[in-house]
This record gives sequence, structure tokens and C-alpha cells, in this order.
Amino acid sequence: MSGKSPSPPMSAALDLQRGRSTVPPASVANARVWALGSTALKIAGLAIFAFLLFGPLANLVLWSVAERWYTPFKLPVSYGLRYWEVVFRPTGDAMSSLATSVIIACLTVVVALAVSIPAGYALARLKLPWRTALMILFLLPQAFPSVAIYINVARVFYSIGLTGTITGVVLVHAAHGLVYSVWIAAAAFAAVDRDLELAARNIGASPLRAFFTVTLPLAAPGIMASAIFVFLESLDEFTGTFFVGVPQVTTLPLLLYNASMGGNYQIASITALILLVPSVLFMIVIERFLKADVLSKVGQ
Amino acid sequence: MAKPSFLGLLLIAPALIMIGALFLYPLGFSLAAAFTEPGGGLSLTHFQKAYELYSTDILFTLFIVVVSTLLTGLFSIVIAGILTLSETPWLIAALRNLYRWPLFIPFIVAAQCMRTFLAKNGLMNNSFVALGLMEPIQTTSFLDWRGIIITFVWKQVPFVTLMLAGAMASIDRATIEAGRNLGASRLRVLVELVLPQVAQTLLVGLVLSFVTMLSVLSVPMMVAGSQPTMLTVDMAFRINSYGDYATANALGVISYFMAGTVAWIYLRHNVKREVQA
Amino acid sequence: MRNSLMAAGLAAFLMTNAASAQTLNVATAGDQNMVDYIKDYLGPMFEKSHPGVKVVAVGTGPGDGGSQKIFEKLDAQKKAGANSDFDVVVIHQKAAGTMAQDGLIQKYRDALPTGALVTRDTATNALGTDVTGYVMPMFHSQTAIAYNPDLVKNPPGTYAELRDWAKQNPKQFGYNGIKGGMSGVAFVTGWVSAFGGDAAKLEKGPYDAATKATWDKAMADLKAFNQNVVITPGNAGTLDMLNRGEIAMGPVWVDMFYTWKADGKLPPNMRLKLVSPGMPGQPMYYAIPAKTAQNKLAADFIALATSPDVQAEGIVKRFNWYPGIDAKNLQGKLDQAAWNQLFADIPPDALAANGKPFPIGPYFNDILETYEKKVAN
Repeated sequence: MSGKSPSPPMSAALDLQRGRSTVPPASVANARVWALGSTALKIAGLAIFAFLLFGPLANLVLWSVAERWYTPFKLPVSYGLRYWEVVFRPTGDAMSSLATSVIIACLTVVVALAVSIPAGYALARLKLPWRTALMILFLLPQAFPSVAIYINVARVFYSIGLTGTITGVVLVHAAHGLVYSVWIAAAAFAAVDRDLELAARNIGASPLRAFFTVTLPLAAPGIMASAIFVFLESLDEFTGTFFVGVPQVTTLPLLLYNASMGGNYQIASITALILLVPSVLFMIVIERFLKADVLSKVGQ
Repeated sequence: MAKPSFLGLLLIAPALIMIGALFLYPLGFSLAAAFTEPGGGLSLTHFQKAYELYSTDILFTLFIVVVSTLLTGLFSIVIAGILTLSETPWLIAALRNLYRWPLFIPFIVAAQCMRTFLAKNGLMNNSFVALGLMEPIQTTSFLDWRGIIITFVWKQVPFVTLMLAGAMASIDRATIEAGRNLGASRLRVLVELVLPQVAQTLLVGLVLSFVTMLSVLSVPMMVAGSQPTMLTVDMAFRINSYGDYATANALGVISYFMAGTVAWIYLRHNVKREVQA
Repeated sequence: MRNSLMAAGLAAFLMTNAASAQTLNVATAGDQNMVDYIKDYLGPMFEKSHPGVKVVAVGTGPGDGGSQKIFEKLDAQKKAGANSDFDVVVIHQKAAGTMAQDGLIQKYRDALPTGALVTRDTATNALGTDVTGYVMPMFHSQTAIAYNPDLVKNPPGTYAELRDWAKQNPKQFGYNGIKGGMSGVAFVTGWVSAFGGDAAKLEKGPYDAATKATWDKAMADLKAFNQNVVITPGNAGTLDMLNRGEIAMGPVWVDMFYTWKADGKLPPNMRLKLVSPGMPGQPMYYAIPAKTAQNKLAADFIALATSPDVQAEGIVKRFNWYPGIDAKNLQGKLDQAAWNQLFADIPPDALAANGKPFPIGPYFNDILETYEKKVAN
């Protein structure tokens, strides 16, 4: 069943009917060679693919343990963990940047959820005029190249004193993540069985109580997924923070950028590895939630 | 249609205000600033200046994003095709586990990886030399437009492949079987039977990738030198070094135009589909 | 539950920051070495002599872009009538001139104990603008061409020789254009001074808008030159490519060059050459914003930073800059070996002959704009 060797249709079928195999030994050997060759090709292809995929990442690891590395040496001149110590010292930039990044990400999730849970509920359950247009509206930030938007947001923030503050950065991150959180919240609420809510109302619960005790817990998994997504987007966000947060707010991506442009590849690589941890964890966990056919419905 | 819910409007209001203040207002601001001259009237002087200073970069950006999108589409089709049509189970399993890795790696980390991977003495060239595939003298640095394209494709292929593989998995398997039964090669099945059915998803993925690539600042700044470079870097340079919002916004409008053209293509395809349905 | 936990964590974080009694905010433009200087050396020293004070250093990025960010911040806060976020700023010459003109920084040098220690022109003149009293030079720096003697046996001595060398050795020379760092900008202005005609007029003025047109041939040559060179991402980008052997020559800041060598980020055999007719150098300035809450502390900080001890130990020995105050004030504070190390590749007479200032402000801007129009585009 492997390979593309065509089978001569009629004669082989007749031979099998007569109960004997008429495939000559030579062609069996041919088929085996062909199969072996194609397997080797597949393995080689896979190996190249893996190299292209993981090579850049392996590079990161190599740089994080290199202490002195200059031409013409192909590998570091001396290895060591000195730069890990530099990065992780308590007074170091990395620890405070990491704290800043995490705090901003948490606040962003809080703001995004606070805004998108009501919005998602309204879109899913209540009658809104121009519902489709509103859904499209939330998609719009993804449709426009964002650098120009961030430039002008920064300019507006200058005049109200929000540049270089955590509040400003959180607002920018939350607006950027709104598309995911609103759409996913709307989908999560739409998936909750209306009958369950009606049952709760029938027993006498107020609408608010029904929402908090029935609807919200049932929609929680979807909302959790969107919260994690918003968290990750905020953690990795660079462009908005570059315009709005500089110079006082230094998140981990900004630290990475500064270290890299400053030629400090060891610190940049270590910071990059730190940034990778949440992303990789998320990917391993989300494996269970990202069903292929769900994704195929995106955009329809 | 029943009376629209007032409560609904109230609940959605904060989200609308947020989008309005942090997206629509700056968007309008950028359009206004790009078209208004210092005196107050409408003019194209800023576009003229942007063209004088950055015409090469505009073409450069367009070139890179178009080529990256096409390459992304090509590789995604190949990988998704293998995942759907291959008859080697271990290949499918291995590929499925491998291709997703760059998906959640942020652009800035990818840029840092590529900066040291693609350099003249970077890991890629060094590996080729160590394997005997290349002479040391032949190594070249890929840290220019090729590096940017490679980084974009590396990062976007898993995304589009994910969508495409999902779409391919949900089409009726019978169509593929029928094609194979009639003797069509798998390549032909892919191109003539599967692709037309998943074209919609492919288009969505490519359009999203196109716009994403137009928004990225970290990759062109870190991977390539400063001439020529992408529009995002020029915008940042204008703002950071001169505070020249007018020219930066003019460049922004040009990038909106590029994204808009692609979105229009998508919408046209969609409308055609609706009309046919 | 999660919310209250997060609120508690946030409160704890905010409280630890509010714990120190007084904070001195220092914003510095320039590469990472500028920030490291304050974080690792000057800040702890100041905190030791002023207990209860915390020094917070913030970097705004290399090149004039970094200074522009500080300018915008001070400008915005002046318009809002608020105290500025920064108590001490470290800026480039161009920005210092603009800030002094716009009243964003205050005069303090006359009252400073170390104010009289510098008599150089650069303390009063920032690219043609009078900044007397507003600034104290932190250091003086110089650009030069770094080269790998193994690959370049006879380094070119003039811009013209450099141009020919690049033609014969394509893609072996690299500089960063005018974005991402001042070493590339220095190279370009040096080019215009060498080939554009009247170098003295560019340095001293008067400004004549018509001069732009005389640079056409020089710019066209530069465009042709760029075909044979590599454009790097920035100051550090050039050094990095030299390190990796991807280019053999490039303009660098002398201090960054020596620091990188000491850190093992540059091969030990690399050398410097100051090509004629000259390459620019620049001071960076300490300044105090016009309206800040910590006037006294800021002045104390700058006095410490420009004291002979700190200039000798920090500026020269540790970070390989030329001192901001006059060199004669450092006698006795610095051992001869450290002093000689600074002049190993570029002896004092070469420095005196070929070390130039940048062109005055208006010409500087013209050069940058003409470059973008005629060379980069």
C-alpha cells in the first residue's frame, strides 16, 4: 500500500483467481527497492524539515551558554553560565522586566475579560441591532497594520500623560486582545444550553443569579481559553509597548530587543528562552482543545 | 424582528468604547494627519515626502509581503496535503507533531533566533560547512530580504497549515477516495479536488498572514540592515528620531492601502461564492 | 479568589517600590553601555554616599532617536505644567541644543563645584547652539574605522582610499546607514566633509540653505559606494559583524570597541584607524530638566559624575571613554598604563588632527535628509 507502483489490473486479478501468484521475483525486488528508496526520501525530508524548524531554536540554546565567542571559531570559545547569573540576579533587568510583563499580562486579562464577558453575553443572547456589523467591528484591529495605530495611540497618550505607564500599556494590550476575547466569549455563551438558564429562572432565580450560577460556569472553559490566549498575546507583545511603554515600562520582549540590538546575544537568547516557556506550555496544553474542525470554521 | 435589547447595548458598550477610543479614533487620526497639511487644508504633501524618502522601501515591503504570503501558501498546501493524503502513518504522525512548533513563538523571539542562525557565520551556514555541503568561502549572510522572508514564512506556515489541515480533514473523504479510485495521482487529487474545497480557509489564512506581516516591527529591525527596509521600521524611525508624525502617518496609510487591496480580493471572492451558492 | 490574590500581589509589588524615601530618575540616551554605567557603577556609588536615595536608570535607545524620546517627554510634561519624570538626563548634542532653546533644561553649571573643570569648546557649544551653563560633558567619544589586520594588511588612511578599497573588496566594509546608531551617521557626515567641499563651514557655520545642492556629487558617490558595502543594523551591529568575520572594516565608537574587546565579544587582534580628513566625535551631556522635584540631588549626582575620581576610574578606565572634563584634571588619578591604553591605536596627535566635531545643527539635519532622499532611496 505504500508508494505509487501501479498494478496491472486484469491479468493479476485473473491470476489470483486461478490461485497462483504470477508476480515475478524481480519485480518484487524492484518494489522493495522502490519502497526503501521512498522511505529514505521521506526520512531525509523529515530530517531537513526538523532542522529548519528546530535549528533556529537550537541556536538560541547555544548562545545562552556561550561566554566568549568570536571569529573565526565556529562554536563558542568558552562555555559557561555567567550570563544566566547576570540575567537572574535580583537587581538585574530581567527579573524586573519579567515581573512587569507578568503584571501587565494579568491586568490585561482582567480588563479584557471585564469588558468582553458582558459584550459576549450580549452578542450571544440578547437582541442587538447590526449584530454582524458589530462582530466585524471587533475583528477590524486584526485587519489593519497596527504600527500606524500604535503611533497615534502613543501620541494621544502623550497629551494625557499615559505614555511610559503600566496603565497605558495595559489598555493597548487589552484593545489588541479584544478580538479574541469577544469572539470566543460570544461563542462560549452561545454554546450554553438555553434550557438550563430557563430552568434556573423557572425555579425563581433572578436573571443575574442565573447568569452567575448557571451560564458563566458553563461558559467558563471557553472563557478560560480566551483568557490564556490574551495572557500570551500580552506577554509576547512588542510593537505597542515599544511606542507606548518606552522608556519607563520595560517588558521582557523590550528587554530582548534592547539586548539584541546592543549586540548582547547571550542575554537576548536567555530572555528569549524565558519567553518561550509559557508559549510552549500553552501549546502542549491547548493540543487538547484545538480541534481541527473548529479551526476550519474560522472566517465563515 | 423584536425590539432590540437596551440591556444588550449597555453590556456591549464598554467593549465598543474601548475599540472606539483605542482603535477607531487613532485610525481616523492617522488618516486625518496624513492628508492634512500644516496650514489646515487637504493635501498630498506628506505622501510626496514619504515617496521621496521611502519609495524603495514601499516597493521592498510589498515585494517581501507578497512573496512571503505566496511561499507560506505553497508550503502550507504541501504540508497539509501530506497530512491528508499520505498513506504512511508514521510520516503523518511525525509531521503533525513537528510542524506546529513555531506557532506560538512570538515574532521577536523568532527574529532573535534567525539573526544568529542566518548570519554568514551562523549555525545554518556552519552546519552546511560541517556536513561538507558548502565551502567556507561560499557562505553568505542571509540577513537581508531573504532573512525577513524566511522568518515570516517560518512563523506563518504552521498557522496557515493548522487551518488548512483542519479544513481538509473536514471535507468529505469520499471525494478523495473517488478521485483515487479513478486513478488520479495524489498530487492531482490535491490540486483539483481538495484545494477548491478548502480555498476559502486558505484565503482567510493568507489574508490574515498578509496583514500580520505588514504589522511586524521586530523582524525587519532585528534581522535585516536598515537599507532598504520595511515600512514599519521607517515609521518607527520617523517617530523616534524626528517626531515626524505626518510622514509616518502617510506611510501608515500606504500600508492600510496594501492591506485593503488584499482584503478587497478576499471580499470579492466571498461575494462571488455567496452569489454562486 | 484569583482576583484578590492578584490584588494582594500587586499591592506588595507597589509597596516595595514606594519603600525608598527618595528616588533619583536618570534617563540616558545611547547604547546599553550608557545604562550599564549608571546601573552598575555610578548609581551604587551615589547611593552609598546618599543613604536613603535610590537611583533608577532608564535607557531610551541609541542615536539621536534616544535623545528625541527624552525631548518629547520633557516637552509633553512642560506643556502639561507638570514636574518632569526624569531628574537627570544624558543626551546628545543636537537634542541638548534644542532643549536649551526651548527652555526644557535649566542652568546649573555655574553653581556646580566641578563646573570649572571643563574649558573645552564642547561645554558651551552644541553643534552651533549656545548651551553655556546648561550642560556638563559626561565624556568625549570618537569614531574611528575598526579593522581586522589579518584581513586588511594596509588599512586605508583617507576617505578616498577607503572608497577605492571598498570597490576592490566588495561587501567587506559595513556601516549602519543613518538609522540605529551614530557611528554610521558619523561616517556619513565625515564623507560629506571630505567630498562635499567646505568642511570648515559645515563645522562652524554660517548656515546657508543653498549648500545642500553642492553635495550632489558626494551623495551620488556615496550611493555608488553603498553598492559595495554591507548596511548593518546599528552601532552594535557593525561591531557584531566585525566579530563574526562578516565584514573586515567598519566605523565604530572607540569606547564601544575597547569595551567589546575586553568582554571577549571582539577578537583581540582588531585595530583602529582614524582616517583623514577627519571623523566626528561627540560629547554626551548631563542636563537637569527645567522643572524637577530633585534639583539638589540631581546637581549632586552630576557633581559626582564629573569629579576627577569618577572621571578617571569610571569614564576612562572602566568604560574607555575620553574624559568629559579637561584631561589635565585627571593627573594623579589615573595610572599611565590605563591612559596609554586609550591612545594605543590613535595617538594624541592623530586625535588632534583628525578628531572633528559634528556639523552644526542645520547642516546636520540637511545631511541626514539628503541622505534619505538621494542615497537610501
